[in-house]
Amino acid sequence: MTMVNITMNGQKISAPAGSNILQAAKQVGIDIPTLCDHPALVSIGACRICVVEVTGQRTLITACTFPITEGMEIQTESPQVVKARKLILDLLFSERNHYCPMCQMSGDCELQNLGYRYGIDHWIYPTYTKGFPVDASRKYFFMDHNRCVLCGRCERACGDLVANHTLGLRNRGASSMIHADANVPFGESTCISCGSCLQVCPTGALCDKRSAYMGRNIQTEHIKSTCNQCSIGCGMEIVTRGGNVLRIESDWDAEINAGLLCKNGRFDPLYEDRTRVTQPMIRIGGKLRPSSWDETLKTIAEKISGTNAKEIGVLTSSNSTNEALYLLGQLFCKELKATNVGLLNSAAPKLFDKPQGSLADIVKSDVILVAGTDPAKDQPVASFFVKHAVDRGAKLILVGGKDNGLAPFATMILADIGKAVEVAERAGSPVVLYGAGITEKGASALKKLQGKAAFVAIEPGVNTRAAVAFGFNNGFKASAAKVLYALLGEQGLESADVLKDVDKKAFVVVQASYVSPITEKADVVLPMAIWSERAGSLTNTEGRVQKVSKAVEPAGEAKSDWEIISLLANKLGKKLATSLDEISARATQELK
Amino acid sequence: MSKINTLEDLNKAAKRGLESIIPSKTKVMVGMATSGIASGAQEVYNALAEEIKKRKLDIILSKTGAMGMDCIEPLVDVLQPNKPRLAYSKVTAKKVPEIIDQIVKGAVNGNKPAYRMDEEEFICLNENKPYLKGPVPKDLEGIPKIGDVSFYKKQMKLATRNCGMINYESIDEYIAKGGYFSLLKALTKMQPDEIIDEVIASGLRGRGGGGFQAGIKWQTCRRAHGDIKYVICNGDEGDPGAYMDRSVMEGDPHSVIEGMIIGAYAIGSSQGFIYVRNEYPLAVANLQRALDQAREYGLLGKNILNTGFDFDLKIGKGAGAFVCGESTALMTSLEGKAGEPRAKYIHTVEHGLWDRPSNLNNVETWANVPAIISRGAKWFSSIGCKNNSGTKVFCLVGKINNIGMVEVPMGIPLKEIIYEIGGGIPGGKKYKAVQTGGPSGGCLPDSLIDISVDFDSLWDAGSMMGSGGMIVMDETTCMVDIARYFIDFLEFESCGKCVPCREGVYRMNEILNDICDGKGKAGDVELLESMSQGIVDGALCALGSTAANPVLSTLKYFRDEYVAHVRDKKCPAGVCKALIRFSVSDEKCTGCGVCLKKCPTECISGEKKKTHVIDQTKCIKCGVCKESCKFDAIIVE
Repeated sequence: MTMVNITMNGQKISAPAGSNILQAAKQVGIDIPTLCDHPALVSIGACRICVVEVTGQRTLITACTFPITEGMEIQTESPQVVKARKLILDLLFSERNHYCPMCQMSGDCELQNLGYRYGIDHWIYPTYTKGFPVDASRKYFFMDHNRCVLCGRCERACGDLVANHTLGLRNRGASSMIHADANVPFGESTCISCGSCLQVCPTGALCDKRSAYMGRNIQTEHIKSTCNQCSIGCGMEIVTRGGNVLRIESDWDAEINAGLLCKNGRFDPLYEDRTRVTQPMIRIGGKLRPSSWDETLKTIAEKISGTNAKEIGVLTSSNSTNEALYLLGQLFCKELKATNVGLLNSAAPKLFDKPQGSLADIVKSDVILVAGTDPAKDQPVASFFVKHAVDRGAKLILVGGKDNGLAPFATMILADIGKAVEVAERAGSPVVLYGAGITEKGASALKKLQGKAAFVAIEPGVNTRAAVAFGFNNGFKASAAKVLYALLGEQGLESADVLKDVDKKAFVVVQASYVSPITEKADVVLPMAIWSERAGSLTNTEGRVQKVSKAVEPAGEAKSDWEIISLLANKLGKKLATSLDEISARATQELK
Repeated sequence: MSKINTLEDLNKAAKRGLESIIPSKTKVMVGMATSGIASGAQEVYNALAEEIKKRKLDIILSKTGAMGMDCIEPLVDVLQPNKPRLAYSKVTAKKVPEIIDQIVKGAVNGNKPAYRMDEEEFICLNENKPYLKGPVPKDLEGIPKIGDVSFYKKQMKLATRNCGMINYESIDEYIAKGGYFSLLKALTKMQPDEIIDEVIASGLRGRGGGGFQAGIKWQTCRRAHGDIKYVICNGDEGDPGAYMDRSVMEGDPHSVIEGMIIGAYAIGSSQGFIYVRNEYPLAVANLQRALDQAREYGLLGKNILNTGFDFDLKIGKGAGAFVCGESTALMTSLEGKAGEPRAKYIHTVEHGLWDRPSNLNNVETWANVPAIISRGAKWFSSIGCKNNSGTKVFCLVGKINNIGMVEVPMGIPLKEIIYEIGGGIPGGKKYKAVQTGGPSGGCLPDSLIDISVDFDSLWDAGSMMGSGGMIVMDETTCMVDIARYFIDFLEFESCGKCVPCREGVYRMNEILNDICDGKGKAGDVELLESMSQGIVDGALCALGSTAANPVLSTLKYFRDEYVAHVRDKKCPAGVCKALIRFSVSDEKCTGCGVCLKKCPTECISGEKKKTHVIDQTKCIKCGVCKESCKFDAIIVE
C-alpha cells in the first residue's frame, strides 16, 4: 500500500494514499469532530463541522471529503477552525428546537456532545421562532423535525444503504425538510421500517418508540448476536438495561449485513404479544398442570423408554440452534434409532454439492435471477442487496408473478424459468437466488448456469440449513407416531393443524416458548428460552455458522433449546456432550 | 437541406446567408430578443407584418437579437439597397405606418432613426462589408453613425458579435458571418492539442465568474482518464439584473454551439449538454432550432463535416434554482437529481457529470471560441489588458441612463462604462456605487470609479467579475437595504445542504431586516462581520462562500450607513421606512394641494395656499407625496 506523509497538528504521520484527512486523523487518534459524516455512509461534507485548516488552501476544508496528499500540513483545532465550528454549532442550536433536557437522546446526542466540546452555553440567535411537525405515523419510531439538523444521514442510509429511496429533502435553504416520497406521512409512505435511518440519526430527530427515555447508552449493555428471524443471519446488537431488552441495533461490523437490518429483525421480536410458557407442565386429569423440571423430564423419559423406535416421532422448527438440532439428532436418531423425523418448514432443493456463491455476490452481479423465493417479504435484507444491485445497473429477472415483493424492481417478470436462464446466460456475472418454491424442472433448468453464475439458496425458515444437514427433512409421518416430540420453540403456528394426523392417543411433548393451540393440546409442555435468552449458534443460508448470545435471563423456568434436550438425554441415560462449548464444537464439526 | 461536407458547401451556404443579410430588396429587422419583446416588439412585428401585407409591399421582415441598448427598444432596423441601415428606436405599433411610409418614399422625416450603420462588421472574417456604395445620402447625414453614439463608441463586440445583426432563425446568416468556418478549420487543419494551445495562448478566461483559464481547463479534461467525456455549457444565468448569456443564446445560438463542437473535438468528447434555465423559453427555443439546423447540415451528429468526428448536443432545462449555476450543482441537476453542489476537491474535469471527465464553460466563453480559432490567439490576446484578454459583456442596469447590455474590452475604466457608455446617473443624482458579480459580488464605491474592470482588479477590490451584472446605485440607494436585498435573494436560493449557508445567510437576513426595521442592536454589525468570515471560511460551494460578500463589501465601504441605522436609528438615504419620517417644509410648501390629492391614505391635510401637514399616525411612507411635489417641499429624515 502506498503511504502518504502528512503533518497534522505538528505531528508527522503517514497514512494510506487515497484516505481522506478524517481517516488519517483517526489512525493516530486525532479526534476531528463530525456530524453529517458516518463511517457507513458516503461523505458529503455538508455540515462543515469537520473543517480543518490546510496550508495553501484558500478556505477551510472538510476533513471527511478531502483526500490527503504528500506533504500536506493540517491544523485540526486552530483558532480559525474553532471559530468556524462554533459558528456552525451556534447556528445549528438556534435552527430548530435543541433544548436538550427534554430530548430522549440527551447524553447520546452528537450535536449535544459537540456543544459541550466547544462551550456552546448560550443562544446567540433567536430560537424557537417556529415549530416543526412531529410525525409518529410509523409503528416503531417517530420523526421529530424539531430535532433535525438536516445532515442527510437518514436520506443516505435509506437510499445508498437500503436502496429503498423513501427519504428525501424537500424545499431548500432554511426551509429544507426531510420527507418521505412526495411528502406523505412516513407511515403511509414506501418506508419499510427497516430502521436504518433511526440508527444513523445523530440527534433525537428519529427516536425508537419502545425504548425512548429508557436509558442513555452508558447505562445499557450492547450484546452482539445473530438475528434469528430468517436464514440470512444478520449481525445485530441486543441493547439491554437491568436485564431487559430495550431495542435491537444492527452491527456495523457484521460481515453479512454490514449494519443493515429489517423490520422483522429490528422491531418485530420486541413487539411479541404472545403469552410465554414459563414452567414445565404435565397433563393430569385432562388438564395441564405445573410440574417440576425433574418430574416432567422423568415422565417424558419413561414414556420414550417404553416406546418402540419406529413409533417415536420428532418434529422441529428451524428456529432452533445448531446445538439443539445436533443434540436432537444425536439423541433421537442416533441413540434411540428413531427414523420418523421432520422439519416444520420446507427447504430449498440442493442443486450442488459444493457452494456456488454467496450473498456478497449479489451486489457485484449484472443480472440477478430470482426464482421460487420472495426475499422482500421473507428475507428483506437479501432484497436490499438485490435493490442495491439494481440501483447500480444490474437487471433483475423474476420468475413468477407480480405478487412477488421484488416485482416493482424487476426488469422482466417471466413465467418460464427456461427463458430466464437464457437471459442470464448472456450476462457477464449473473447471480441466481432460488428458494423452496422452485420445481424439479426449474432446478434442472437452473443447473445450466453452473460455472457461469453464482448460486445462492435462500432458505425458508431460519436455521433450515442446519436442520437439513442434521437429517430433519425426511418426510415426517404424523400418523405413525405414538410418542411425538415437537421442538416448536418460538415458531408461531396459527392452528394445531400440524397435529391433525397425529393419533389421538399419542403422547405429545411440546418444547415451546409461547402458548399456542399446540401447547394447549400437548401432554407435556417444556418452557423454552427465546432468542434473547439463549446462547448457541445458527447456520445461515450460505452455510455460515454464527454465534447467538444470551442477553437476558430466560423467563420463569424456561431453558435454552439445547439444554432441555441435553437434560432429557441425561434422564434417558444417554451420554451426550453437556457443555455448550463441547456441543457447539461437535455441531460445527458435523456441519462441515 | 443537404449536408455540408466541404469548404465549397460551406461557401454556398455563406453565399445564401449573405444574400439574406444584405439583400437586394428592402429588409426590416425587429429586435426580438426577450428585451425587445418585453418592451413590445411582438406587437410591432405583428403591425409591420400586417402593414406590409396590407400595402402589398415586397419587403423582407426578419427577427434579430438584441443590440444591447435595451432602453431604446423596441428597435426596428431598416435596410434598403444601397442605403445605410437605419435603426428606429422605441417603436410602437402606432408608429409602424409612418416607418413604412418612410421606406416607401425613401425619405426620412418626422420619426427620425436613432442611429445609422454604413457598414457591417464580419468579426470572424476580419472584414467590413459596406451597405452602400458611394457616399451617404444627404438627408441621412444628420443621423448619427452608430460609432458616434456614446453607448456604442467604446464597445467592442466579440461574444455578442452577431446579436442584433443576423436573423437568429437562420443558420445561413450565421455561416455568412464566418460561422462554422472556424469549426471546419479546427477539424481539418488543427490537431486537438493545437486548438488547446491556441485557446491557452489567447488567454481566454472563464466568463462565468471564476476567471479560470479556459484552455488549461480543456487541457486537464483532455488528459483526464476516461473514454467518455462531456462538454457542458452553463446557461443557467441567475444573477438578478444579468442577461448577457440569455442575449447570446437568443440572438446567436450557433456561436455557442460552434464553440462547443470545437471544444469537444479538442477535449475528445462526443456528447455535450447545454444547461439552460427554463425561464428562458426563447433561448431554449432558439437553441433547439439551431441544434436541429446544425444536425441537418451535418455539423452535429455522426461524421461532422465528413471528418469522422462524432458529437452531439442536448439541451438540459433547469428548474430555476440559482445554485444550479454552480458547476457541480448543475451537473447533479443534469443527472436528474436535486441540484445540490458537492465538495469539489476532485475537479469536475476529472470526475464530473456521471462521474466522468466534464468540461464546463459559460455561454460567453463558448461564444468566444470560434472567433479565437478564426482570428488567432495573437489577435484575441491583443484585446483587453494584462492577464485579461478579450472583452467582457456586462448588463448595465439600475440607476443609469443607458440601460443595456454592453461588451467592452477588459481593463476599461469603470468610469467610462458608467459615464460614457451608461450616460451617467439619471436626474442629476450622485453616483454611489456599482454592484458587480451578481448577488455574491460586491459594491464598488465612488472612490473606486477609476478601477480597471478586469478579473483581478475587481477581486482585489472585494468584488468580482461574476458573470457580468452591473447594478448602478445612486445617492437615494440605502446600502444596508441593498445588502439586505441580496442576502434575502441568497437566502431564498440557498440549497440548504451546508450549515453556514443555509442557516448563516438566513440569520444574516434576519439581522439585516432588524437593522432596516429600526430594531438593530449594538453588536449587530460586529456579529454580521464575524458571521460573514465564518461563512466565507466554512461554506461548501461558491454560492455559499461568497454569500457574505454583499454584507462584507457594503460594510467595507459604507460602514457609516450601518452605524446610522443601528445607533442613530436613521436611514441616510431615506429608504428604510421604519427609520424615516415624511414632513412638509414650511418654507417651500406653496399649499398647492397636489400631495393631498395623491396621498393614498389621506393623511395630508391643509388649506389651499397654506403649508400642509402630514399625519404621522396614518403615513405609510410610500413617498408618493415626495414624488408628486414640484417644489421639493417634502422632507425625508
